[in-house]
Amino acid sequence: MPALVDLQGTFARAMTSGDAAGVGAHLRGGRDPGQRLAIHLRHYATTLAAALCDKFPASVWLIGADAMREAALAYARLHPPRQPCIAEYGREFPQFLAGHPRTDRLPYVRSFAELEWAVAQASIALEAPPLSWTALAACGAEHLVESRLALQPGVHYVRADWRIDELMETYLSGVTPERFVLVDADTRIEVRGARGTFKLTQLDAATFAFRTTVAAGRTVGDAADAALTLDSGFDPGAALRALVDAELVAATATGTQESQR
Amino acid sequence: MSREQAAYALPAGVGLRLPHLAEVAAGASSAAWLEAHPENFLANPHARELLLRVRHHHPVALHTVGVSVGTATGLDRAHLARLRTLVDELDPFLVSGHLAWSTYDGVYLNDLLPIPYDDDAMRVVATNVHEVQDVLRRCYVVENPASYVAFSTSTRAETDFLAELASRTGCKLLCDVSNAYLSAANLGYDAYEYINGLPADAVAELHLGGFTREADDEGAPVLIDTHAAAIAEPVWELYAHALRRFGPQPTLIEWDNALPNFAQLLSEAEHADRVAHATFGETARARAG
Repeated sequence: MPALVDLQGTFARAMTSGDAAGVGAHLRGGRDPGQRLAIHLRHYATTLAAALCDKFPASVWLIGADAMREAALAYARLHPPRQPCIAEYGREFPQFLAGHPRTDRLPYVRSFAELEWAVAQASIALEAPPLSWTALAACGAEHLVESRLALQPGVHYVRADWRIDELMETYLSGVTPERFVLVDADTRIEVRGARGTFKLTQLDAATFAFRTTVAAGRTVGDAADAALTLDSGFDPGAALRALVDAELVAATATGTQESQR
Repeated sequence: MSREQAAYALPAGVGLRLPHLAEVAAGASSAAWLEAHPENFLANPHARELLLRVRHHHPVALHTVGVSVGTATGLDRAHLARLRTLVDELDPFLVSGHLAWSTYDGVYLNDLLPIPYDDDAMRVVATNVHEVQDVLRRCYVVENPASYVAFSTSTRAETDFLAELASRTGCKLLCDVSNAYLSAANLGYDAYEYINGLPADAVAELHLGGFTREADDEGAPVLIDTHAAAIAEPVWELYAHALRRFGPQPTLIEWDNALPNFAQLLSEAEHADRVAHATFGETARARAG
């Protein structure tokens, strides 16, 4: 009998590959224990595929249930979960889906699935108390450029080459139009949500650059530079005011470069 | 309180699944108590907020599906730390998990997999249960698995393994009556003898869940622990036997797939209460006679 660690290694490889050859030697149960083992192998693949299909219902709508299930099964084989919370499983699935043969005629599928992931994450978030102007001012105007701001947990940004936000709105409407023209256009979307609700907002290029730079944990000065590179007329002060007024900045995590060292 | 009185004082609870969460959090439920899978809440802040609201008006137990005390490559300590945080926030009256493994070297296999019942596995499981109890700072309750295969190299019966585990670690046991029934059917032993083989003083909770009859790839009948159906009649009979053996224990109705409305779950819980009342009424009459 192999040691437990070796036995589990063999078992784990069988689970993820779907190939139970050589695993049944020490088992009993039924006429052929290897066939009983197949119950576990099927469970692994089918439950993970089902979880992915449940997590990406708009993508199922877009590419079809069969294609989605096929891609999800393949993903489960190649990318087993690394954590027991299946809610966290599938972050990289949009990229995988884009490379799957069943979606090769849908160049927008990756960004659409990324938007769907962002919507799902936004919808389960809780809003933190927003940062007020008073609190921001307390860090001192001279330090503002060096400040790093934490955005609300339910804020996500998605960039695409297609108007996938319109496609998502069509899916959410529950009405399948006779004809839908997906516009080929540089699209920058802010997803904001909390407690089961969400909103999609189109942003211009400079505002998107400003906000995504802040969201990445870089300084307000870096965010201003990123926006001004795209639009020399961009007003960082107004952009910061808009961010705070919209209560997009959480009160919990602000600081200067100095304080974060 | 006598055993008979305790049975009346402790009606059966039901599993709390995400589709029912908003309804229950709104305070509309008459469930006696609820059991939640922490893995459904650890990465879902909104659901976690609602679960904490539920806790204000219901006793709650936590039933882990990802702790994997049977794993030989070490517990997922990050997961355990997140679980500890939830336990501290929620203060559940029980925290339980399975005699099984589901992680290997950082990979989560999304299933409850069997272990051989031998010295090596006992060392691994006991070490892991000790660690879980140390981190959670409370007694862990370990459930008997639903089995489709067993290891021919096991040196102990499952019941002896569980009894030894409880003795070594101080953990308690969760007797899933449905698991006992279907494992016995699948592996060819007597479910009543299985119940009789568990150490009664270690049992702290009972589970009841629906199973599905399928055929394995050889066409042989096999019972699958799907939690997707009502509890089968033979399991209710075995439950009555378990109550006589273990006394009144918190009993949970598990229904996770093909989920019915919450009222139907409560109806199954009421069925469990009727079995308990009949069983302990019967016991009291026997004693009086």
